[in-house]
Amino acid sequence: MTTNTNDELAQIFEGWSSTVGKPTLKDNARMTTRGVDVFYGEKQAIFGVDLDIGKNEVLAMIGPSGCGKSTFLRTLNRMNDTIDICRVKGDIHLDGDNIYDKKMDVVNLRARVGMVFQKPNPFPKSIYDNVAYGPRIHGLVTRKAELDEIVETALQKASIWNEVKDRLDQPATGLSGGQQQRLCIARTIAVSPEVILMDEPCSALDPIATARIEELIAELSENFTIAIVTHSMQQAARVSSRTAYFHLGRLVEVGATDKIFTAPEHRLTEDYITGRFG
Amino acid sequence: MTSSSLFLLLIIIVAAVFVLGRKRSVDVAQSVGGIRYLHSLPNYYGLLAAAWAAIPGVILLALWSAFQDVIIQNSVFSLLPESYQALSGSRLDLVWAEIYNLQKGIITEASDPAFYPAVEALNNLMTTSTTGRTVLVIALTVLGGVWGWRLIKPEQRARNQFEKVVEALLLASSMIAILTTVGIVFSVVFESIRFFHKVPFTEFVFGIKWSPQIAINAEVAGSSGAFGAIPLFVGTLMIAGIALLVAVPVGLMTAVYLVEYASSRVRSIIKPLLEVLAGIPTVVYGFFAALTMAPKLKGFFEGIGVNGVSSESALAAGLVMGIMIIPFVSSLADDVINAVPRSLRDGSYGLGATKSETVKQVIFPAALPGIVSGVLLAASRAIGETMIVVMAAGLAANLTANPLEAVTTVTVQIATLLVGDQEFDSAKTLAAFALGLMLFFVTLMLNVIALAVVKRFREQYD
Ligand SMILES: Nc1ncnc2c1ncn2[C@@H]1O[C@H](COP(=O)(O)OP(=O)(O)OP(=O)(O)O)[C@@H](O)[C@H]1O
Ligand SMILES: [Mg+2]
Repeated sequence: MTTNTNDELAQIFEGWSSTVGKPTLKDNARMTTRGVDVFYGEKQAIFGVDLDIGKNEVLAMIGPSGCGKSTFLRTLNRMNDTIDICRVKGDIHLDGDNIYDKKMDVVNLRARVGMVFQKPNPFPKSIYDNVAYGPRIHGLVTRKAELDEIVETALQKASIWNEVKDRLDQPATGLSGGQQQRLCIARTIAVSPEVILMDEPCSALDPIATARIEELIAELSENFTIAIVTHSMQQAARVSSRTAYFHLGRLVEVGATDKIFTAPEHRLTEDYITGRFG
Repeated sequence: MTSSSLFLLLIIIVAAVFVLGRKRSVDVAQSVGGIRYLHSLPNYYGLLAAAWAAIPGVILLALWSAFQDVIIQNSVFSLLPESYQALSGSRLDLVWAEIYNLQKGIITEASDPAFYPAVEALNNLMTTSTTGRTVLVIALTVLGGVWGWRLIKPEQRARNQFEKVVEALLLASSMIAILTTVGIVFSVVFESIRFFHKVPFTEFVFGIKWSPQIAINAEVAGSSGAFGAIPLFVGTLMIAGIALLVAVPVGLMTAVYLVEYASSRVRSIIKPLLEVLAGIPTVVYGFFAALTMAPKLKGFFEGIGVNGVSSESALAAGLVMGIMIIPFVSSLADDVINAVPRSLRDGSYGLGATKSETVKQVIFPAALPGIVSGVLLAASRAIGETMIVVMAAGLAANLTANPLEAVTTVTVQIATLLVGDQEFDSAKTLAAFALGLMLFFVTLMLNVIALAVVKRFREQYD
């Protein structure tokens, strides 16, 4: 097993010019990013990433720890704005609108591009109120009955309805970790986003809960565009149609998932998926 | 030998036991093949032996010091003529002081020749006690040290046993705070009971007139004054309430601004300024309240046609007190708001909530237990504050609901009751203890209520 030190990697990137594979799509793109650089203070975490995410596709993002997957994902709904020292350069479009434009309504953007986090983070409220949170703040409903319906549908889509339907008024923090994560997914889809970003949504879950969430992702992909960060290559292979491999802030290779896992073109991708680092 | 030199000697003996114990453990280790065959590191054997030496000696020293005065005093008094033994507490104290001073040679002539045998006895007893203490304590320490030293064997679990010593030490420290509190409560309770012998409990708790007159002459009827505490508690609650009405919203909003909205540059300017506000002595706030705030308020209210505004008012004191505790509330709230996990904020922002929606719906509920206890601490500050009230709200115990009148508070009255020369068994002085007891009870209730609120909340959400 060879391990590369950071210096060696820096050398690898000296000759590196652009992403291998096809990061951009012709006409099916929902989100597009062009020349995205992200900085934390002086330190650059993302280097010139061009990447498209197509309508109704599941895009998996893989790569060694610290390579910038979360950072990149968070630029897609401007969650990085909440970090003081973080700056984003480049163009990111959602359905043709530049999301970093001054006129962009960030609050609305985040309703359109929802996010599920690595660790389940239910609010200290009842199960019902957790799911109703988004619809309420966005004024999606006027009557209680409509809200009830949205909550029920979201919980059903997240395949947790049967487990919680009798205790919707109980605190969400009393659920198990896997249930909490599905609740967080329900919370996200209750605002009917167009794109769902998932940052290692299964890292805190057991295999059974993971399997259920993977099924869920497959179902959701019929209606939503999904970008998922994962450390599990099996998971990426199971749920995604395209896979993007990140390394030290660069997008190294993008391609159809089965191609990336069977015949990667770039040496770094190959090293990673054959377990030589990460 | 004096206490301090005895103590010093103890430390030297204990240190020696440590060194010897450590050495013995190293020596016995040789016989079994080296230090790594010891159960614990040599230092632990030394420490344990030292604990064996120190603990019994120190306990004996403490007990001896605690009881020697009482025992000596009692045996000296038993030598005094019958007439003295019947005296009441404070008179007896005077006699004791005289005997003590005679023994020390501070005074040379006794007011009663019957004291001389007592002085003689005191002299002997003190010498015996000091010698006995020195000999016994040192003997016990050395014995303990030898015992601990002899216990050292390779298989002795010194490391685990020393853990017990540490635990006992920690327990003893926590007992100091508890015992002190218990002691204070007891002394306040006992003095209060004496007060309630003079003034009926119901009159004190339900009475609406407070004017503790000085008993110039016991024959003057009603010389003990009126001791109805209600006006004081109403005044206290009114001023504290006004203060909290100012401090809680402003303090919370300051904290929210600093944590959620302000850039780090703004934060680095405002935070020190708030600390300056917290560092201003209450006396300064007091004269600000009395000389600036009160006249302004009077002018303002008279300007809008309200008459009879007093130049000392609950409102002036409460407002200024509120300003005083703003930094207190904001820094406590700052801590608890900061402690709300980032992931909850992310969750809310990720759903498209604005900052103020996130604060109101996620951060406040999550931080509420901490905020409630912060507000309660602020309330205790407000209730306990004296100086601003003395200067700005006056000493007149009016029973009124009008914040523009002069009122007084419990702590102010306690202070005025105890200032100056006092007879320690007049109702007036004892009233201070009764007020203290009531105040203690009220703050205790506040805490209990707060704990209940917080607990209910926790059950619901955690
Ligand atoms: N808030 C932050 N402040 C400063 N640097 C950060 C911050 N967040 C991330 N970074 C840095 O940016 C780089 C990319 O981090 P990121 O969290 O995006 O990695 P990741 O690929 O998601 O890793 P992991 O798989 O471990 O989650 C890392 O070098 C990290 O140290
Ligand atoms: Mg990450």
